[in-house]
Amino acid sequence: MKAAPFAYDAPTTPEEAVGVLAEHGDAAKVLAGGQSLLPMLALRLAVFDRLVDVGRIGALQGIERRGDALWIGAGTTDAAVERSAEVASAAPLVARATPLIGHLQIRNRGTLGGSIAHADPAAEYPAVALALDASMDVLGPGGRRTVAAADFFTGLWSTVVEPDELLVGVSFPVWSGRCGFAVEEFARRHGDFAIAGAVVAVELGGDDGVRRCAVGLIGMGSTPLRAPTAEKAATGAAVGGVDADEIGRLAAADAVGVPSDLHGTAGYRRRVCAAVVTRAWTKAVEEARRG
Amino acid sequence: MPRVEDARLLTGRGTYVDDVLVPGVLHACFVRSPFARAAVRGVEVGEAQAVPGVRAVLTAADLNPGVREQWHTSIGPQGPETARPPLAEGEVRFVGDPVALVVAESRHLAEDAADLVDVDYEPLPAVIDYTTAEQADALVHEAHGSNLIGTIAIPASDRLTETFASAAHVASETIRQQGYAAVPMEARGIVVVPDPATGDLTIYAATQAPHEWRLFCSRLLGIPEHRIRVVMRDTGGGFGQKVLVQREDMCIMLAAPHLGVPVKWVEDRRENLMAAGKSREEQADVRMAFDEDGTILAADIDFVSDCGAYPTPWPVMTAAAVGALFPGPYRVPAATFATRSVYTNTVGRTAYRGPWQFETLAREVLLDIAARDMGIDPVDLRRRNLLRHDELPFSNPNGMAYDNVSPLETLEQAVEMLGYEAFRAQQAAARVEGRYLGVGVSTYVEPSTPGYGAYATEAATIRIEPSGKVNVYIAGGSTGNSIETTVVQLTADALGVPIEDVATIQGDTAVTGFGAGAAGSRSGSMTAGAVRDTAAILRERIRAIVAHKLEAAAEDVELADGRASVRGTPSAGLTLAEVAGLAYFDPYGLPPGVPAGLEASARYTAEARSIWVNATHLCTCEVDVATGAVRLLRYIVSEDCGPMINPNVVEGQIAGGAVQGIGGVLYEHLAYDDAGNPVTTTFMDYLLPTATEVPVIEYGHIETPSPGPGGYKGVGEGGAIGAPPAVVNAVADALSPFGVRITSLPLSPFEVVALLDPSVREPA
Amino acid sequence: MDEIVVEVRVNGAPRRAQVEPRLTLADFLRERCRLTGTHLGCEHGVCGACTVLLDGAAVRSCLVLAVQAQGREVTTVEGLATDGGLTDVQQAFRDCHGLQCGFCTPGFVVTVTAMLADDPAPDDTAVREALSGNLCRCTGYQGILAAVRSVVDERAKEAS
Repeated sequence: MKAAPFAYDAPTTPEEAVGVLAEHGDAAKVLAGGQSLLPMLALRLAVFDRLVDVGRIGALQGIERRGDALWIGAGTTDAAVERSAEVASAAPLVARATPLIGHLQIRNRGTLGGSIAHADPAAEYPAVALALDASMDVLGPGGRRTVAAADFFTGLWSTVVEPDELLVGVSFPVWSGRCGFAVEEFARRHGDFAIAGAVVAVELGGDDGVRRCAVGLIGMGSTPLRAPTAEKAATGAAVGGVDADEIGRLAAADAVGVPSDLHGTAGYRRRVCAAVVTRAWTKAVEEARRG
Repeated sequence: MPRVEDARLLTGRGTYVDDVLVPGVLHACFVRSPFARAAVRGVEVGEAQAVPGVRAVLTAADLNPGVREQWHTSIGPQGPETARPPLAEGEVRFVGDPVALVVAESRHLAEDAADLVDVDYEPLPAVIDYTTAEQADALVHEAHGSNLIGTIAIPASDRLTETFASAAHVASETIRQQGYAAVPMEARGIVVVPDPATGDLTIYAATQAPHEWRLFCSRLLGIPEHRIRVVMRDTGGGFGQKVLVQREDMCIMLAAPHLGVPVKWVEDRRENLMAAGKSREEQADVRMAFDEDGTILAADIDFVSDCGAYPTPWPVMTAAAVGALFPGPYRVPAATFATRSVYTNTVGRTAYRGPWQFETLAREVLLDIAARDMGIDPVDLRRRNLLRHDELPFSNPNGMAYDNVSPLETLEQAVEMLGYEAFRAQQAAARVEGRYLGVGVSTYVEPSTPGYGAYATEAATIRIEPSGKVNVYIAGGSTGNSIETTVVQLTADALGVPIEDVATIQGDTAVTGFGAGAAGSRSGSMTAGAVRDTAAILRERIRAIVAHKLEAAAEDVELADGRASVRGTPSAGLTLAEVAGLAYFDPYGLPPGVPAGLEASARYTAEARSIWVNATHLCTCEVDVATGAVRLLRYIVSEDCGPMINPNVVEGQIAGGAVQGIGGVLYEHLAYDDAGNPVTTTFMDYLLPTATEVPVIEYGHIETPSPGPGGYKGVGEGGAIGAPPAVVNAVADALSPFGVRITSLPLSPFEVVALLDPSVREPA
Repeated sequence: MDEIVVEVRVNGAPRRAQVEPRLTLADFLRERCRLTGTHLGCEHGVCGACTVLLDGAAVRSCLVLAVQAQGREVTTVEGLATDGGLTDVQQAFRDCHGLQCGFCTPGFVVTVTAMLADDPAPDDTAVREALSGNLCRCTGYQGILAAVRSVVDERAKEAS
């Protein structure tokens, strides 16, 4: 299973990369970790004339606290995110999603930016970015722009990033105060894409009222999803009065365009979604209450 | 003892077929049909041939006429068989059917060129559903005249009909197993090297049966057998898929001499999942009649098997084995069976570890359903009906004569290892908390070591070299079953020499005598017989030489630790090196009648048609009713394979088979859509169990020797036979409060939830 | 397509070759370096038989292009034992019957070597999760898990 031939560039700056992309348009494709792209090329499910390897661009690497956000360079590997104490403290949801990504060999090559730009609705990072209202830094021939996560994912494996643009970094807002975070996934085997998953962030006031919360859904649509009805039901309520099962049910009902495939129907996925949201909510709330 | 294979395999110095270095070798890639059934109107190869580095693009017209005769030794030249054109000729019959062969300087170039081959297909109506194939208008093989390959059935006697009609309880279900496959970690592969000067062929292959491949190739090409050499060094798993030459292998055997160059084909994973063959796709209406105490009165199975378009080999006898073995190790007084094998426009059926294992799946699942319906504990129901040691030999009602097995004993051992009563109490407590634990057992009996046809004999050559070191030559065919190690052990024991002094040469038809290969769980017993008979010749010769030299009686000479000593006088002895020195360098000093040298060959013939093996598998699980996830807790196997040549090897074989069986129930599915497109052709979709899904496997051993050499029995296939029903029964037991009946596999989490809440099947 | 010159250190030795960009690191090692211990079980990044160390990190060499390894350090199964013997990981696989056909074995041995370098004292769950990216069809993982446990225990004993 060998890929069709392609040309190869290894630029060392983001601007250089964008230049190559602008020149070749659709015929060129960004190569980051390659853990999603290279299998597709090997299976000849996709063909590109040219791969632009962004793995040598230092400016895409890094994990930095910038004010009340945590910036992670698009080229930062999942493994680097997994090891980072900074991520663990400033963006626990990102840290806790990471060990669920595939397997250690995948995480040693796969990148945070690659996962978000590839936008698989069953992947972890897109749902975390959406849940935390992250913002994506995109560089194009016309310059830089920042896109809010809510506007970033446009459909199955598609985002607003144009063929001549490059995702440069992602800023995750830092939640402070009495917070709790949890990621719960259900997959056929450890490391498989989730059949349904939930990422939950919750912040409590001193009075145990839910100040704010975010519920992100994995694998429940053609993009990562939020669960607005579930979030609305919990926000402002006394946390002890929030029924975790109800949050799960509401979140599952929020999902639109739920897939049906070999692993199960949409109805089955809603049932699993409700269960994982309930579990994630319960864990997140437990953590927040301890804070 | 550490395996002799391990040092090279652990350091990456094995030689698998893709590792073989042949100067000038060209690489092959098949163009394959994207349709389940289509007429082939034309194949345009011009654009593909023009790619630089492409040597040839071959079609049926180029290759197929080269076939002289093709038949597998086990079937014979007159046996019924599916016509198998090497490349598809005029019609493609499954998605993946090879239509053209590209040969190029690299696999990369071959794949590039394959994309440029333009085949003009005219799609035809395809037969996909095997349960309705016999009624379909379309024919998979026009010339066969029907989609029924064959049927073997015993008509039900009036008495049997009456028994079922009047029994206190009849359990009756349709049990269905999904298609899954062997999926060895190394896919198929072959390198064919023609010698242009002599017309001889050397073939390197990933095969379980090098001699069978040599014979097949010799007939295929009309080249005398002794001019063909088949070499199998290391092969990465087979499980039945690599026993017989398949169509792609035939194509390479034809292509290399046709082009006059060495040609290598290494199958990739997508091809392997699409075209190497499928197994297990089958169902049956099964019935058992019981009296009011749960004593079995009769058993009946009406079985149909999906054999795809090109089953290899002809599958009708394996289907009949399902019928004949269905009564299992139970005291069943009356039975009948009907079995049908049908063609469909899907990949052909090939052998996979315990190819008839459906009989155990269906029987053991039915027994548990019957037990629950009758209000009898499933273990108790088995206790009442399993054969006891003192009842053997026992002929089952279909003529299968079991002996030297211990079905009830293995059940009791497994149940004791679990602590069955304690588990039931644990289960009850968990239910109160809303957690669902379950326990399932399965007991089976299996015919190993087939004693008929080409399988009935096995030869060894042992050479004690002039320095006293030992080489043992045996046909081989190990794709992981450790027969290098076990043959070395057997030889060292038989000659009384240290293991380090013995080496083995296997898998090369130029230097080993004919052997049918590693199949049918035959290697343990057959190699033991071959080594025993060969070593006996040498032991006698050594004793005679030593007795003559030391003026002792031959029967007083003992062999141990590389020495031949006179009993009672340990200082009176010779090392094996000294004996060899006499045998090779002082022939005139040997006793009269004793030949020079220390080399011997013998061919052992199996005494029995089968050597029966048995085991009980027991599994506990927890089911998450929200998601349908099944988590296996404990897994216990009580097995009786007789005395063990190497306990590690035995347990390893059981473990591998059991995990394949677990995979078959919970994860693996070789699936097709309604149009006959395979939808699980990568490891993203065809799910194998990983280290996170498997339980720790616990073993109990019971030793009932067989009448064969050493008392050994075959153990290679049992895990894949016993495991699936143990898992199914555990899940069914866990969900018994919900009144579900499990009769259809796989048990994916979705299917488990659908049993609890059928509304999830609705599309909306 | 134009070929690219790539320079990689493989098992401590410098290698230089002209390669098509599409050549995977796995094929480069097997074909250009004649190191056939790294096996191809799927070529789409699931089975782990092709696992090698890239700058010390375990990666699927079928999902790395040879050109991506430019200037880097690759260790294959052939390069683990430096004195012609077996490493403790390899020895443990042997002692615990952690291999049968051996096809998946190099991938497991490399993965285990890297995994224990990162985490010398994994519990059973951590071991299983770390191995979940390597498929074995022969052993049912029993001997493999026993081998890893035995290495962990032995190293702990030696450390204390």
